[in-house]
Amino acid sequence: MSGLCREVVTLQLGHYSGFVGTHWWNLQDASLCYDPDLPPGELQSDVLFREGLTLGGQVTYTPRLIAFDLKGSLQTLRKEGSLYATEQDSKTTLSWQGQIMTHEESPPSKNSFLQDLDKLDQGELLVEPDFSSSPALVPHCSGGAFAIETVNSTLERVQKAYRLEGIVRVWSDFLRLHLHPRTISVINQYNHDGESARLEAFGQGEALLQGSVLEELEDRLHFFVEECDYLQGFQVLCDVADGFSGLGSKVTELLQDSYGGRGILTWGVAPVSHRDSSPIKELYHMMNCALGTVHMANHSSFFCPLTLGGGLGRRPAPPTSFPLLSYDSSLWYHSSSVLALALDTMTVSYRLRHNSTPMWQLADALTVSGRKVVCAYGSVPFPMMQSSCLPDALQACQDALPWKPLSACPELVDGRCFGQSVTLKGLEGQNLVSPLVPGTEPPSPLHCAWSGLEVLDMYIRSHYPSTPLAVQLVSSPSKLTSPFPQIFSPILDPQGLIQSQSPTTAPVVSSVPVLTCVQSSVAVGQLLAELQKSCSSLDLRRVAPSFLSQGLEPAELAESLEQLRSLAYRYRDDSGGTLRSSSEEEDD
Amino acid sequence: MAAVKALNPKAEVARAQAALAVNISAARGLQDVLRSNLGPKGTMKMLVSGAGDIKLTKDGNVLLHEMQIQHPTASLIAKVATAQDDITGDGTTSNVLIIGELLKQADLYISEGLHPRIIAEGFEAAKDKALEVLEEVKVTKEMDRETLINVARTSLRTKVHAELADLLTEAVVDAVLAIKKPNEPIDLYMVEIMEMRHKTESDTQLIRGLVLDHGARHPDMKKRVEDAYILTCNVSLEYEKTEVNSGFFYKSADEREKLVKAERKFIEERVQKIIALKNKVCADNGKGFVVINQKGEEKYTYIEKCGNPRSVTLLIKGPNKHTLTQIKDAVRDGLRAVKNAIEDGSVIAGAGAFEVAVADALVKHKPKVKGRAQLGVQAFADALLIIPKVLAQNSGYDPQETLVKLQTEFKESGQLIGVELSTGVYL
Repeated sequence: MSGLCREVVTLQLGHYSGFVGTHWWNLQDASLCYDPDLPPGELQSDVLFREGLTLGGQVTYTPRLIAFDLKGSLQTLRKEGSLYATEQDSKTTLSWQGQIMTHEESPPSKNSFLQDLDKLDQGELLVEPDFSSSPALVPHCSGGAFAIETVNSTLERVQKAYRLEGIVRVWSDFLRLHLHPRTISVINQYNHDGESARLEAFGQGEALLQGSVLEELEDRLHFFVEECDYLQGFQVLCDVADGFSGLGSKVTELLQDSYGGRGILTWGVAPVSHRDSSPIKELYHMMNCALGTVHMANHSSFFCPLTLGGGLGRRPAPPTSFPLLSYDSSLWYHSSSVLALALDTMTVSYRLRHNSTPMWQLADALTVSGRKVVCAYGSVPFPMMQSSCLPDALQACQDALPWKPLSACPELVDGRCFGQSVTLKGLEGQNLVSPLVPGTEPPSPLHCAWSGLEVLDMYIRSHYPSTPLAVQLVSSPSKLTSPFPQIFSPILDPQGLIQSQSPTTAPVVSSVPVLTCVQSSVAVGQLLAELQKSCSSLDLRRVAPSFLSQGLEPAELAESLEQLRSLAYRYRDDSGGTLRSSSEEEDD
Repeated sequence: MAAVKALNPKAEVARAQAALAVNISAARGLQDVLRSNLGPKGTMKMLVSGAGDIKLTKDGNVLLHEMQIQHPTASLIAKVATAQDDITGDGTTSNVLIIGELLKQADLYISEGLHPRIIAEGFEAAKDKALEVLEEVKVTKEMDRETLINVARTSLRTKVHAELADLLTEAVVDAVLAIKKPNEPIDLYMVEIMEMRHKTESDTQLIRGLVLDHGARHPDMKKRVEDAYILTCNVSLEYEKTEVNSGFFYKSADEREKLVKAERKFIEERVQKIIALKNKVCADNGKGFVVINQKGEEKYTYIEKCGNPRSVTLLIKGPNKHTLTQIKDAVRDGLRAVKNAIEDGSVIAGAGAFEVAVADALVKHKPKVKGRAQLGVQAFADALLIIPKVLAQNSGYDPQETLVKLQTEFKESGQLIGVELSTGVYL
């Protein structure tokens, strides 16, 4: 049914989730189109954004988002944002007649990007002196006679390269859009950094969801869900390496209990590395990942780990590298941008304006027989030469598939794939089919296909002949405006296509094509089994007793690991009567 | 040296005296921050974050949570405050002050060579005696509305200005009385607290009914209905996914249309049943009326004048977020205070009167305690006196002088004497 908007509520739990989320929302914001004359885009922004009204009568368009983070993590960002502020919110309106002592924290410095955004908000000019109209955040403007100057177009025009790499401390340092006052919730019980009161263990996170934290979550859920007409579900971004994994487990349980019929897609994110890590902390990270995975998988429609790290264990393989990207894996600012870009493509199917597949359908197709954990792969960007065509680009990959792991799950070498969803986004204006020259033999069956969708479908099926497959092709690309980091190879042109001659200066890449795959296969089972084995082989009471002191009973822990083992077992390929032999056969 | 350094080379290690000094200094640090909060004449704290978020509070617990406490002992004390808040709902500032003072007094004796364990024994003995005194001194009485108003007013006046406190006092007491069921513990969840942006806070009111925070779903809905029946149902009127894994495969647009129509028909049938019920029932008279109110994004539905309200709503109005939060926190504490009063069935005189009485009793009791633990008892007694001292100080009077006056009066009259904060004269 077109015209029907199936809304999604997004939840961000944790700081790295905030990084991925901020890049994600910046990407969404960059694609918003305020011009009423242009045809509506392929993706429906109302799925993720909500229209609102301030007390002053101003229309706003903000993400339908609830974000949890710890005390001290906001720095320059006001908890309630400034979009809905009124003069009443100043320090002068008070209801106390006695003495007041003011403790004012000195404001942390805003980086140049945030300062420019502030200037735009106040209608000030940015560098260039010749633009006239003041920017607005109003989506429906009267009269399309002159181009609407928006924050995006201004930033694009100014084309400032904000080198934020060394300056970004927290996710609000590069957040481009305004959030709704009810979006951010700060958890005061734990500190964002420092020596004490850190949220490090699964048990701590679990214990958080009660009292005021639970009340806040329920209030905000209620607020955002109530105004939806056709809520399709929730996308949850949750840090799995720290104590937020426990909070995520309880939050997804709450969502499942209260909104059982909806889709709950949980993406467990983890950075490649943490600052000041230590062997004990690595151990904690691994335990949190394991427990978070099994519990959140239980309560969600599907659970997908997302990380550029080589593995979830203590001595992971080197981080994933992409042939056309050069990024610093230790910088959260960089790694989260790649994940956000991939996520923008992976989630396309339930955000389409026409013929969208609701979340639960996507999940149902991939999680048959209780195989709730899926893994993701991505080709960021998708390698395609300028003026080439899709069949050529795919053929150029030869036998290997062009994507790399995004879930710390190595590529399936041999073994069964139970189902997958493949999406290609961003080849707007490019040739999706091969121009057939009469009289010459087409180089491959791909070149005979009639549509881009068919090309892609054929290509994937040639690698996975008997796997159920869903394919999506979206032409409009993800738009990369500041402050998306410029991590692209210099041979890419501004549309993210490979140039035939290397240019003298590396152009600013403003959009890229991305190919992603969300898969359920035997490889997932191997990932889970390894994780479970590493965790079970530890004698926690001797090595890290403090992990258990945070409210998690040893018996519960053992049971969770047992559940993880059974979950891993479900991925065994028993078809054809032969059991795949693997080392897990001989454990315990 | 310390094994902990093997695990974390950056760990700071202190032993014996130094460790004790570190702990005591943490407690005193907290005490210094919070002492100016105590009592109705205490200073309100306005916290402005680096980004400009404003929080206005006098509640010790709230303050401790907003601060980024890195010191482990201070963190522990903050947790005590949280526990206090969970159990009683108020008194966190007093709690932190007493802890600080207990440690300070103990320090005096320790520096003379007394072993901490002996002081702890003294504290235990003093605690037992103090509880005995409490039992003797408390006034058990019928918790009538008048008494409850006094209890609530005491609590509220320490959190918001006097006029607003008086307005809220009645609302709070009436709220608790309205939901109180005989012979059952009071369930404060039955008092809903709603916030509404409004020009002034003086319109805060108690609604005998419900205020729901969502409004009309359709512009044609009636904005006001009187004598309404209200249907509460747990049946969904929305399109939902199936319980069982199922899929729908179609080969043509027609088949898809059929699915859409079938889904719609299912829901329509449900709706028709509801309409039929309505027609049957609403022929007669009903109770209550419903009003829908909308302001910006915030929509409210009032359901008032219910026959037998088992739950009520306190509608808090204020011009901005920090005022709303301040009032909400105060109301919560007030509700807890009233509930505690009703459930305990007794009250005691405030304004530091109890502390003076206990201190005196402890000093008299001291000789009965064996050995050097007596010193612990003395320390405890002196520590409790911090409360009347700080109350006096916050009102601008000399704490020593006021204390001496109080103690003299108490000895002479034998009655509980507290600090009268407006005049400095004892009551």
